Amino acid sequence: MDLELTETQTIFRDTIRKFLEEEVPFSRVRELEKQQRSDEALWATLGAQGWLGVALPEEADEGGLIEAGLLVEEVQRRAALVPVAEAISCAVTLQRHGSRERAPELVERILSGEMTVVPAILESVDRFGEVAAEVNDDGLLSGEKFFVDYASIATHHLVAAQCRGAVGLYLVDRGQSQIETTSTPTLGRTPAAHVRYQNASAEQLCGEDGHAFLIQFARVLCAVQALSCMQVALEMSVAYTSIREQFGQLIGTFQAVQHHAADMAIDTESTRFLVYETLDALDRGEASEEQVAVAKAAASRAVPEVVMLAQQLHGGQGFIEENDLYFFTLRGKERSLAWGTTEECLALIGRSVEAPERWL
Amino acid sequence: MDFRWEQEYLEFRDELVGFLRAWRTPELLAEYDRGEGTPGPAMRSFYEALDARGWMRMCWPVEYGGEGRDPLYRFIFIETMEYWGMPYGDLTFTSVAPTLIAFGSETQKKKYLPGIFKGEVRFALGYSEPNAGTDLASLRTQAMRAGDDWIIQGQKIWTSLAESSTHIWLAARTNPDGPKHQGISVFIVPVDAEGVSIRPLHTMSGLRTNETFYDGVRVPAENLVGPVDGGWNIVMYALNFERVGLAAVGDLAREFDLFVAYLKERRPELLDDPVTRTRLAELKVDLHRQRALATRNAHAIASGGIGIGEASMAKVHGSELRYRFSNTAMDLLGRYGALSEESGALAPIDGGMELTWRMSPILRFGGGTNEVQRTIIATRHLGMPR
Repeated sequence: MDLELTETQTIFRDTIRKFLEEEVPFSRVRELEKQQRSDEALWATLGAQGWLGVALPEEADEGGLIEAGLLVEEVQRRAALVPVAEAISCAVTLQRHGSRERAPELVERILSGEMTVVPAILESVDRFGEVAAEVNDDGLLSGEKFFVDYASIATHHLVAAQCRGAVGLYLVDRGQSQIETTSTPTLGRTPAAHVRYQNASAEQLCGEDGHAFLIQFARVLCAVQALSCMQVALEMSVAYTSIREQFGQLIGTFQAVQHHAADMAIDTESTRFLVYETLDALDRGEASEEQVAVAKAAASRAVPEVVMLAQQLHGGQGFIEENDLYFFTLRGKERSLAWGTTEECLALIGRSVEAPERWL
Repeated sequence: MDFRWEQEYLEFRDELVGFLRAWRTPELLAEYDRGEGTPGPAMRSFYEALDARGWMRMCWPVEYGGEGRDPLYRFIFIETMEYWGMPYGDLTFTSVAPTLIAFGSETQKKKYLPGIFKGEVRFALGYSEPNAGTDLASLRTQAMRAGDDWIIQGQKIWTSLAESSTHIWLAARTNPDGPKHQGISVFIVPVDAEGVSIRPLHTMSGLRTNETFYDGVRVPAENLVGPVDGGWNIVMYALNFERVGLAAVGDLAREFDLFVAYLKERRPELLDDPVTRTRLAELKVDLHRQRALATRNAHAIASGGIGIGEASMAKVHGSELRYRFSNTAMDLLGRYGALSEESGALAPIDGGMELTWRMSPILRFGGGTNEVQRTIIATRHLGMPR
């Protein structure tokens, strides 16, 4: 057991952090948010420079998911508007569960940024188990998908649909006229959309196992994004209360303030352990659906508490949009709902609560 | 990053569990459960069997009878013993022993350590005084030099287990003039020394604690631990290790498992209710959070630090979870939740939930109040201004 990042992982994290800090000023993210656009320039750079695939082994069923998590965490730290988590979850799903003939080429094109593929899973009922979208005998897909993150900038969607009752993942080229995308602005101010497919050409790439894996993996990456928001909110709160004076002293010396920060740290650090532990297990194919749900429930429940305490400690300073805190407050809550809410994950854990648990 | 326990730890855990299954007899549990701490025949033979395997001393240096194994073995040992509710010397083992190894003289280590792992030497902790609780550094019990000896005069409170202990691990003031943190020393005081008296205090948890009085108690110079006036660091070190035990997830995990098993067997209609399941799921997530914090703390210690922030986080979360868990369990059980062990078969899990609830305050205020812990996390871990 080694709870620290390896030297290579540390270098990887530090390098991507430095790169993003230089590349993505928050002012740019603000501007893009106003225009309801994603960061296409950054997305092109990430692909061209090989950041997306740098840690993923080319042809293996194991390795690289911790690094994928680190990348997603760092991108979230800059509130960057790029579909890194979405593209990586599709690429890794294809790598591990995609058709042998097609997957290697597609994975390479996704990781190089040539194709932008995002998952389209949920429908109006907002339940992961329910897939009504259908592929007919001619291979044409019809149905509606909701909450598709970065739907409008993606070149392709990886759509959950059923064909004669069997659920699978289908690659759909967004360039077709049979696809209608309607933007659905959200709290997190990241681009999401409602998509309608009407006899769109679709190519099956995965079966039920790929569909299940994609949900599990994307769920953990989403927990990483929530964790990232908590981490930044905590760091910003410590920094701010260490310079802000009231009553002639730094407010960070007040116990009431310190104790809020301590609670934020407890939430953040325990969540960090559970989330990366789950990524590690998922990487080896050892994570149960329940373990993933525990990690996501932990993150989903903690993130609103932490960001709201950060808001409290910042007072009016954190409430204005000149301050960067709102990115993490709003995105954090958005991520707590995405890929399985607290309630959904708790229900999943509750269903098998009698199953023996390994506590050590 | 690799979150898997290496095979050798898992093998040790399995071996220990196998051993405990054989030794966990009703006689032993009854003896241990009386809570008085003095080993009877069942506990004595259990300690002997433990000692034969060397598990209580395995992490100690070879020269003191140990095997020099890394502290993660101790973590697994404590967690497993806590899960199965078996005796292992409690604070004497988790707190005093590692502190003696770090600060004790050669003579002290040779004299006390073997007795600790045989269960023969048992310490009660003499820190708090009526006017020095959370503000421990204000303690006033005095130790004055008298030739080669020290004479101790004063009073301690919350000296739990003093009635069944052989020694008191006592913090006393040796310099009344300097800064208060720099005038404290630690002494080993035999409970049967002349001038030591014990007055019981009864708590709502059913456990007894004590006031202890020291009236001209004479101890030899060799009973001083570490340097004169250097006791504050020793006490802080010991308290930090104390939190390792307080932060364990083991016994809470066992209670959770017992509670779910009880519902399954005796109250299936409750377990069928999705609201019950959601509540249980919330607790399970929190137990995993505690497992995470306890494991991080063990690793901080194993990598050579004493993990101040990690220990405090685990202590705060674990003690508050203990309350939350028992409170939720009792709410789910309704009035049955309040039935105590004396109610017999009607009491769920032998009244375990109401007992845990009654016990929960001590873990929040004891071992350094959670308020002090949060301040430690903020200043020493997060680096907030003081």
